[in-house]
Formats: sequence, C-alpha cells, structure tokens
Amino acid sequence: MNRDRAALLLYLIAVLAATLIHDPVWLAAGLGLALLASGRAAAGILRRALLAVLAFNLAISLSYAVMAWLQDFSPWQTLIRLNLRVLLLTVLSFLFIARANLFRALDFSQGLTYVLGLAYSQALIFRRAHEDFRLALDSRSLRRPRLIDRYRASAAATAWFIEKSLHAATQSAQALRSRGFFND
Amino acid sequence: MHIPDGFISPQTYLPAYAVAAGLWAYAARRVKRDLDADTLPFLAAYTALSFVLMMVALPLPGGGTAHAAGIGLLAVSFGGWMGFLAISLVLAMQALLFGDGGITALPINALAMGFTGSFAALAAWKLFGRLNENVALFLAGWISIALPSVLVALVLGIQPLIAQSAQGAPLFFPFGLEITLPAIVLPHLLVGIAEGGLTVLGYRYFARLRAKLAT
Amino acid sequence: MTDIRYRPIGADAPAVLQLTDVQHRYGSSVGNAAGNPAEVLRDINLTLRAGEKSVLLGCNGSGKSTLLKILNGLIAPTAGRVSYQNEEITPARLKEPGLHRRFRGEVALLFQNPDAMLFNPTVFDEIAFGPRQLELPDIEARVRHWAELVGVDTHLRRPPFGLSGGEKQKVCLAALLALEPKVLLLDEPSAALDPRSTGWLIDFLADLPVTTLTSTHNLGLAPELGSRALVLGEDHRLIYDGPIQALLGDMDKLAAANLVHTHRHRHGDIEHRHTHVHDWQ
Repeated sequence: MNRDRAALLLYLIAVLAATLIHDPVWLAAGLGLALLASGRAAAGILRRALLAVLAFNLAISLSYAVMAWLQDFSPWQTLIRLNLRVLLLTVLSFLFIARANLFRALDFSQGLTYVLGLAYSQALIFRRAHEDFRLALDSRSLRRPRLIDRYRASAAATAWFIEKSLHAATQSAQALRSRGFFND
Repeated sequence: MHIPDGFISPQTYLPAYAVAAGLWAYAARRVKRDLDADTLPFLAAYTALSFVLMMVALPLPGGGTAHAAGIGLLAVSFGGWMGFLAISLVLAMQALLFGDGGITALPINALAMGFTGSFAALAAWKLFGRLNENVALFLAGWISIALPSVLVALVLGIQPLIAQSAQGAPLFFPFGLEITLPAIVLPHLLVGIAEGGLTVLGYRYFARLRAKLAT
Repeated sequence: MTDIRYRPIGADAPAVLQLTDVQHRYGSSVGNAAGNPAEVLRDINLTLRAGEKSVLLGCNGSGKSTLLKILNGLIAPTAGRVSYQNEEITPARLKEPGLHRRFRGEVALLFQNPDAMLFNPTVFDEIAFGPRQLELPDIEARVRHWAELVGVDTHLRRPPFGLSGGEKQKVCLAALLALEPKVLLLDEPSAALDPRSTGWLIDFLADLPVTTLTSTHNLGLAPELGSRALVLGEDHRLIYDGPIQALLGDMDKLAAANLVHTHRHRHGDIEHRHTHVHDWQ
C-alpha cells in the first residue's frame, strides 16, 4: 500500500472515530492530536477550518442557545460537543488534503484516477472562466444590472460551460483512443 | 444544502453510503452501456460541468443571489444516471480536494441532490415535455431543488431522535423536523423558482449553440 | 518599421490611470497543498496618460490579465493604490453610484475570451446594453453606427453565440465603444483573430481617439499596437517602461521576459542558433 492510500484509510478511520466518540474531553483530545500531527501547518489549518465552519455553526449554535433559554435547559454540553466535533472533522479533512495526494491514494483504479484527474483539471479551468464571466458583467454594468440581465448572463455562462464540456469530452475521448487506452 | 461534517450520525451516513454505493455501481454499468468506450471522458467532463454550474449565480428577485445547482439541466441534457454520477463525483472532489462540504454528508447529498434530484427532474421533463417544453424545463429545475431539500430536512430533522446522549441531549444535528422542514424547505421552494428559470434559459441558449454547431 | 501613427505622449499630458506600488497575490485555497499564496504582481508603478497608445508585453502567466483587471477596478490589489483621474479607486469607493457610473462608463476592458462578455439575445441588444444604461438618446442610430464601424451591421438580429470568434470580438468592441469610453483596455485581442482581422484591428485601434493599453505576448505585433511598451517579467515585476523601438533592440530584456527564443536553424550550409522572434510566437 502506498503512503497516500494509507493516509486516506487513516483519515476515514479517524472520521468514523470522531463520530462514534461523544465525550467532549476525548473530542478535544482528538483535536489536539490532529493539530499536533499537522506540525508547522497547524495554525494555518486551524484558522482555515474555523473560517470554513464559522457561519453554519454560529447560526446553529445561536439558535440552539435561544431555544435552550426559552425552554429553560442548559445547552452547553451539547454545544461544546457539537462544535468540537465539527471542528475536529474539518481539521482532519484539511490535514488530509494538505498531506496526501488523492490521485495516488486512488491509483488502484485506472478509470477512477483518470476521471478524477480530468474532472479536476477541467474544473480548475472552468472556475477561472466562471470568474471572467462574473467580472465581465461587473465591468459592463454602469448600474446594478436588472434581474433579466443577471439571468441572461448566468444562462449564457451555463450554455457556454455545457458546450465546452461536450467539446472537452469529445477531445479527450479521441485522445484516449489514439493512445489505445481502453476502459477497465 | 451543503451540510458540513459533524451533523450527521454514523447511524445515518453508514447506511446511506451502503445504498449510495449500490446505486453508484449500477449507474456506472448503465452509463458504460450507453456510452461504450467514451464513458470516462464524458463522465469527467460532466463532473467538471456540474462543479462549475454549482458556482453560477442564481439571481433572486430583490438583488440577492443563491448558487445554482444545475441538477435539472444536467439530467435533462445527459440523463439521470449520468447526472447522479457527475454530482456524486463533484461532492467527492469538493470534500477531498477543495475542502468544501463534508465526507459524512456526501452520501446524503449524493442521494438527495444527485439521485432524487436528477430523476425527479427527468420525470418532470418527460411528464410535461409534450405539453410545453418551457414549462417542463422550469418544473424540472424547480423540483430538482425542492424535492432534495425535503429529503435533507428529513435526514437532519431525525438526527435528534436517532442519536441522543444518555440524558436525551442531541449528539449531532440538534433540531427536530418541526424546525428543519420549514427552515430548509421554504427557502428552497423559492430558490427552486430561480433554478427553474435558469434551467429554461440555459437550455434554450444551449439549444441555439447546438443548432449553430450543426450547420 | 517607422512609427508614424503613434507619437509619444509628453509627460505633461494629464494622467488618466495610475498604479502606485501595486502588489497582488491570489489567496491560498485549501486545495493548494503548499499553502503558499501565488504572487501575481510585484511593485507595479505606472501612469497611463491621456491619448497614449501603450502595449503590455509579457509571457503567459506573467500577470497581464490581472494587471488589466486591476486597472479596470475589477480586482482590488492586495497592496498599493489604483487611481483614475487622480481619484483613488477602491471597492468601497466604486460602490458610490456616481463614481461607479463614471468609471465604468469611461474605462472599458475587452476580455480575452469574448464569450465571457456576451449574454444578450441579439447583437443589437449587446451593443445597446451600455447606451441603454446611460439612457442615451437615439439608441438605434448609435447601435447602427458602432456596428457599421466594426463591420457587424449585417448581424444585428442574430444571437451573438452564433458568430465566429472574430465576429464575437468585434461585437464586444462595438458594445464597449458604444459607451464612448476614454480608456480602452484590451486583453490579448489578437489571440483569437486570423491575420486579416488582426490587420483590421491594428488599423482600427490606431484611428481610435481613446487612450489604449493592449496586452499581447506577440512581439511582432507590439509596435503596431502602440509607441510605449510596458513589459512584465517572469518575476511579475515591470521590467521595462519606455519606447517600443528601444525595447526591440534590447535582446537581454526580451530574453528575460521570455518574449524571444533560441533554436537551431540553417542559412545555406551553416547551422547555428541565436535569440530571435517569429511572428507566430
């Protein structure tokens, strides 16, 4: 087993464990362990994880606190457990992404790595193009665009992406054939 | 509908993975049969497409913006099984490459958005397509958002019932159905209208592009 | 190559767009495992003066597109100052309706991918989009004027998606010019054009009475697009700002910017290598 596949397996086991353990002390210990394993990247990973879950968790936690106050019970145990767990799971994901190469972890299946690799590189290109569509509408708008203009802009982008992906698919299918790569 | 990790209990996501895995295997066979040797490139391209459609702005009346999902459009254009696989792969890509959305929420989203969303859209398209193409497209877009939101609300809302501490406190998502159903479904009924509009316009623009390519 | 169309603009001409100590880096996403934000622009100082025709040169990935988007107020630089007619342009200031309207009406950017700009149902609506926002009179006549000028007047009723790449770019150009901007920024406008359209574009821009900054990685084309050259090096700094003719003689600068290349070739029986440029580069 290669290093990346071991990392993927370890990550999945850690995720399962983090959802089977309910004692906040153990969840906190797990978080500490995950950050320790992150080494010098720990601060960055923790910061990004906090940012990633902030909006959703804040909304849930505040609503739950209000509900607890109205119904007169103590929310703390639940809130601490919930937020620790979410943070731990997010840190684990970011740690996996930073340390392991998913494509190598999945290289037992030629088909899967091919699809994921192609989809990923195409997705990065599309993400940049999408940014250009957004900025172009900004650039041409002297006032807030009307609803219908915003719809048309989104629809034009959508159609363009469909056309480009059909084109890309045809191209890569031809490339596959010319390389003699057959489906497994 | 993007649920982070930590809100879904293993009692939910493990069986969901089992169901999803069975459907993925079946979908892969179906898609392979239809496309033959070209399955992989097309699957990759539609995955990237689905990824970017989820970034496209969905204009809401009043100036707000939601994110499109493109589920209806994908299903209507390329079939339900292809849509299901592409959306599942996007969720995997987002969770494991972009750090966006959780690995434990993945099978729930794949079943709700990918499977149910795609086939509900396809059903609406087939059912109303003979009546009026635009109405059918609109309904396909709308239901591809509305129905999955009901499923996600149900899954989240039953968490307090199926995963409790010894004292009866919720271990995962803390609100019941009486909160999740209105809080999640109502806004999505509205977002569904915007998605329906985008599905109609997007399909029409694409049809024009295709007509141009054919000449 | 004689430079008759592009006279250098004196330092006394009023500054239109100005960048001061501009730095830009793209934020590190989680997906970027290294976690290092990518540096795209470093220490950029430049002033575009009224009436000037300038060329922005740099190899792929040197940051040309980002620089143009910063000049267009679409991207806020990580550090440094952008100003238009001595007024600072920031995202917050662009929210002021007055400045927003003036800046967006007077500084236009032609995107490298014309598809990114086109979304209206017909070519007519596309060109009318700007004038309608300005609530200008005689929309019909204006649209016709600009459509005829760029040569797309026979396509006015067609959807823009059906056009060829070159025609799309002309529609975009007409749509931008219909606002009668003071500054026109063009991102690699020749990349998608055939030689005939490229020739047309060169003549068209030369006669256009607006300040232009045109980016290209095609050195052969550069002297046709402006008299002043700005060169972005591979280190994302501005490594040259001056007359284009002087740049063309400076092989070291050009090599540093990866704008010229070396390969073997033959002259009769002698095979040798030296630094040079092709028009097809």
